[in-house]
Amino acid sequence: MNPLELTLGIMTAVGGFVDISELVFAAKAGSLFGYALIWAFALGTIGIIVFSEMSGRVAAVAKQPVFNLMRHRLGLKLGLVTLAASVLSTLITCAAEVGGMGLILHYLTGVPYLLMAALSTVVLMATMWVLPFKWIERTYGLLGLLMISFAAALVAIHAPWGKIAGGFVPHVPGGLSTKEMLSFAYFIVAILSAVLFPYETYFYSSGGIEEQWGPKDLGTNRVTSIVGMSLGSLLAISILANSAQLFGPANVGPEIPGSAALEVAIPFGRTGLLLALLGMLFAIAGAAVETCMANAYSVAQFFGWEWGRHRKPWEAPRFTVAWIAFFLISLALVLTGIDPMNLVEYAVLFSILVLPLTYLPLMLLANDKKYMGQYVNGRLAKSLGWLFFAIITAAATAAIPLYVLTSGGQG
Amino acid sequence: MARRLLLLLVLLSGCSKGPQADLQYIGQARSAAAEWALINQKAAAGQLNRTYVNSMHHWLRDAIRTSSDSVTERNSAYAREMDLLLKLPDDAQPQQLRDHAARLKKIEDSLESA
Repeated sequence: MNPLELTLGIMTAVGGFVDISELVFAAKAGSLFGYALIWAFALGTIGIIVFSEMSGRVAAVAKQPVFNLMRHRLGLKLGLVTLAASVLSTLITCAAEVGGMGLILHYLTGVPYLLMAALSTVVLMATMWVLPFKWIERTYGLLGLLMISFAAALVAIHAPWGKIAGGFVPHVPGGLSTKEMLSFAYFIVAILSAVLFPYETYFYSSGGIEEQWGPKDLGTNRVTSIVGMSLGSLLAISILANSAQLFGPANVGPEIPGSAALEVAIPFGRTGLLLALLGMLFAIAGAAVETCMANAYSVAQFFGWEWGRHRKPWEAPRFTVAWIAFFLISLALVLTGIDPMNLVEYAVLFSILVLPLTYLPLMLLANDKKYMGQYVNGRLAKSLGWLFFAIITAAATAAIPLYVLTSGGQG
Repeated sequence: MARRLLLLLVLLSGCSKGPQADLQYIGQARSAAAEWALINQKAAAGQLNRTYVNSMHHWLRDAIRTSSDSVTERNSAYAREMDLLLKLPDDAQPQQLRDHAARLKKIEDSLESA
């Protein structure tokens, strides 16, 4: 195992984990329910570790990306439905990320947000065209590490560690009205959805194939999944805990990314504000690249096109046109003037609906000895896989009724 | 069956009017006012840069305006609070903003317990 490769893998996972949905939902959850939803992040993190490790292992051993499996396992018709639903949910997520970048650049420069969203898209497309896959990952992953400022802020404000530790134990806070209970349930579903976004596994497994992983890379895959996702989760939990400590008692219910940046500005002043905004910018930029690439990977793999960023753009022309088109459609969605925070809500809602269909074929293949040989799912991976499949299916069933009843968590 | 249930939920959530239906807008305005106070307090202490503060003022004012436009009871105490907030200058005193947020919170709590 190459230690440099491992370090970079972990950094990449940290940078890619915290996207605009996690920023918004973590801050809102902390302000509304204190530390009581930390366990939902922890639970979702175990789920994303299980599925990303599985998708990386399948990529390394069977050399099969997720959407190739989906077509074989679900058949053409159901596979197409899953592809369409998944592309739609990931496209909305990508638009939310592009809008988020525009917002953060607006906080940094004062230039109108839509103009900044357009500029962000151009820069993202240029870096995607010019940089090799590894450098795309490293650039956004490494710069996204500035998000560690949120964890530092948590230490600086003398957080109540006992209460934070208590938040890891699943519980419902006492004294909630029926309305608040529904809102609490909505936040559990939204957090699980935001942590388990399907694009993460599409991108991760396709990335493994891009980097020509083989069985020798399985150790790196496991450590990257476990340590990287856990560090990412730690950042999301820091945002939640800062919010519980700083915003909840002040009656602030943060709705936009700019509010989350205040968490670092309060203990560290202007420098903290700058670090938080830059960290958020690069983490969201990383997520924008991942969502757009994940969509292009999905479509290309489903229809059997040439794909991959290890090829020159003109060597995989339909794949190249696909990622450019997905960026432009995302920008077009933002330019309609739709509130980017509404896009975040829709992204989370659509994603949870697609999750069971995404992870089922992956699990079936990882359980299949014919494809996986000695690297087939062991008892632990199989049990955890089915447990999380049951959890996301229950969450997907409850998502729309909860969204309607709580007006998207507003009560 | 599931479709009928969903339709019922949509109708229930979309057709309500009056103070109970306005609760979410009261909460949004209260939160924006409280955040405005926090930002002005930190800005006065020199902890935030001007560009960020101006951007946040723009978004928070927009949030209060949207809430104010969305309430169904135009002659209510909370609608008046929102109008008063919108008349304040960007650099309003944090305590003044906190007072408005506290009054909105009081209304919110009384409506929730009703």
